[in-house]
Amino acid sequence: MIKETMGMISCEEAMARLWEFLDGELEDAEAGAVRKHLEVCRRCYPKFDFQKAWFEHVRRASRPTEISADVRRQLFRSILEQEAESG
Amino acid sequence: MTFDTQVDIDADMSHDALWEQVRMAWTILSGRGAHEVHADRERVSRPEASGDTPVLAAEGFAEEALPWLDAVFGFSLRLTQGDRDAAEDLVQDTFLRAHRFWHTFEQGTNARSWLFTICRNTFLHGEERAINRYERPESDFDARTETLAAVSAWGKSSVPPDREFFDRLIDEQVVEAIDELPDEFREVLVLSDLGDLKYAEIAEVLDLPVGTVKSRLFRARRILQDRLRTFAIESGYVQEENE
Repeated sequence: MIKETMGMISCEEAMARLWEFLDGELEDAEAGAVRKHLEVCRRCYPKFDFQKAWFEHVRRASRPTEISADVRRQLFRSILEQEAESG
Repeated sequence: MTFDTQVDIDADMSHDALWEQVRMAWTILSGRGAHEVHADRERVSRPEASGDTPVLAAEGFAEEALPWLDAVFGFSLRLTQGDRDAAEDLVQDTFLRAHRFWHTFEQGTNARSWLFTICRNTFLHGEERAINRYERPESDFDARTETLAAVSAWGKSSVPPDREFFDRLIDEQVVEAIDELPDEFREVLVLSDLGDLKYAEIAEVLDLPVGTVKSRLFRARRILQDRLRTFAIESGYVQEENE
């Protein structure tokens, strides 16, 4: 349950939910409360922005190169061979 | 049946084009006439955007499983901590096993999660890793406490480095930090932050409660950010806080 004071959750409550918010895992009401807080809190917004940038960077940095054409071909062959053996 | 005819390929050939070349060569080698291929094609209904995807007795495998080849390779690469040869072997074993057991896949469910599950099980089996390594008692990580600690750790000044900070980070540093995470943290992080799986999907792949997935994921992120912050301090991007 999310606690609100004067129609707003505290910085601590907003920040504790930040990763779940960024993961899109919060219920609508909780996500709405976090979003509302971020829209007006000058202290928390930079933290949100930094965490968002961090998520994007991790995804970009560790994006795998595609599997090589040779391995892909070998796998396709093996699948077809396996298919022939079982059929 | 063996299948040893070389197929000329271009390294830049698309997934679908390469698949089609191999499949056609196999068709010729196995003595199936083109008319049989076409007959098969009419028999098999494919979802749109599958292009010239192949026809297999394992119906739907080409359309639902093969598109996740690169994603599963990415997962394999992190499971093997960047060992590309081992990751290539793992991804091949995963897909061959998935093909063999395709009849057990529940159509309409999430093929990606199913493939990640097979990949992880194959990895654990191949590595002869004791499964109880993953079943040790959970440390007392509370997901929201982890978040708060990590977010707050960037300093009492409360202003973390700006986005340009990331331009100075080298991708290898991030990948290396991920590879150095303990297994139980690394696999959760990779499934979430690289594989884009939801908490519930990760829980399914790892056969863990959702709460455990969250606590491990957030602990993994906190460890990574601690390393990042150390780098940021050493590089002078942020000032070290006095306790």
